[in-house]
Amino acid sequence: MPLKAWLTTGVLALAVLALAQEGVDPREEAKRQKQLLLETAGILPTELIVEQGKELFNRKGPSGKTMAECDFGLGKGVLEGAAARLPRYFLDTGKVEDLDSRIITCMTRVQGFKPAQVKRSEVVAVAFYIASHSTGKPIQVRLLFPEERALYALGEKLFYARSGARDVGCATCHVTYVGKRAGVLPYADVLGKDKSWTHWPAYRYSNDQIWTMQDRIRACYGNIAHPQPDLYSLPILALELFLAYSNNGAVVEEWPAFVR
Amino acid sequence: MKKALLTLLALSLLAWGLAQRYFQDPELERIKSGGKAYAEVFVSQRPDQALCSIHRNRLPADLLPKFLEEQRSLIKYPQNGKLMGDWKKGGAIFNNLQKANCFSCHFGSPVHLGGDVGPSLEKYGVKRGQSEAVQRYTYEVIYNAWAYFPCTVMYRFGAQGLLTPEEIADVVAYLLDPESEFNTKPAVGSK
Repeated sequence: MPLKAWLTTGVLALAVLALAQEGVDPREEAKRQKQLLLETAGILPTELIVEQGKELFNRKGPSGKTMAECDFGLGKGVLEGAAARLPRYFLDTGKVEDLDSRIITCMTRVQGFKPAQVKRSEVVAVAFYIASHSTGKPIQVRLLFPEERALYALGEKLFYARSGARDVGCATCHVTYVGKRAGVLPYADVLGKDKSWTHWPAYRYSNDQIWTMQDRIRACYGNIAHPQPDLYSLPILALELFLAYSNNGAVVEEWPAFVR
Repeated sequence: MKKALLTLLALSLLAWGLAQRYFQDPELERIKSGGKAYAEVFVSQRPDQALCSIHRNRLPADLLPKFLEEQRSLIKYPQNGKLMGDWKKGGAIFNNLQKANCFSCHFGSPVHLGGDVGPSLEKYGVKRGQSEAVQRYTYEVIYNAWAYFPCTVMYRFGAQGLLTPEEIADVVAYLLDPESEFNTKPAVGSK
């Protein structure tokens, strides 16, 4: 895959350039890097992954059905704005699901894949594709069902919890030290003006990764040497619901995003 | 009557126990879906961590005296009584991302560009001297920052067992010793 190899080299070169620069607003810097990449490679990694996700979306599963037979919250096959309204409670599973877990529900319940056959890389690619239909939409997450309210409350508590050998917690940095810098990046105001919920799923050019918010939350814990919650687990969903609800009304600038 | 009193005592003990806790059992059950290691830190959350969580890192004034006293009681000192150890060893601890990672939050290291979450420590020893009081204060803040700044983001290196008393004394030396590169070399990014 010469294109991918070439793109990776380009990305690495840009990453080195980026690391050499200090004190630059990471959002402005990401825009600049994106423009550079577009000019040199002619295509963005986000576009490639969305394309890959589209193919997977239209692939038939063991049951002979594609993902167009699945309901992502707004009715069967409706993708326009669907990701901006997740996480939410689904009557068919009796659970609150986010984009990642709803894709798994779709693959296993509708398409007939066995849970063990579901690859993380495919879930992320499909998440990129579905999210791409919500660019320009406002976040609209509700707390209508008791389960939604329960998970929101748990997410809020987890956000403010101090735990582990380093006494850390999300709010310790993302509320108290917003704008301050530990290492290279300033702490984002994830509940306020930075609207961090709208930055994921995203492609991170500095290390060539494709991440959903699930990966981002796990990395946050990992960075501060705190044990990480498993993918698709309730604590991640709870934190997501809390973050998404706190960012209600924020318009998605671009999904999937292109970040540092 | 005696039985009633005992029940009352048990209930009040239970209420006291619950008041020290941040997460309740049904919440912990749900957190367990996050995996064993993740759940464990919440199941075994310390009462002081719970207090900081409940009050979102700003303790009410009436809780402060007891809190500070408890944190102070956690501080232990090196066997040999020396609060300043080997500054070279201290530098290796200070500037190691996996070890103390001090530079990520504090400016002043001649090895790594520092962050600004904590106060600048630039030329710490030059500015403060090496009096016993300065040594003690520096040692105690590193050992247990919560004894001075309740619920601060700074790790409680000694109290949480992240560093030994001897290692903390090495870091104190790195900050204070006039010979230390921390005081003789310019900080990365210094103007």
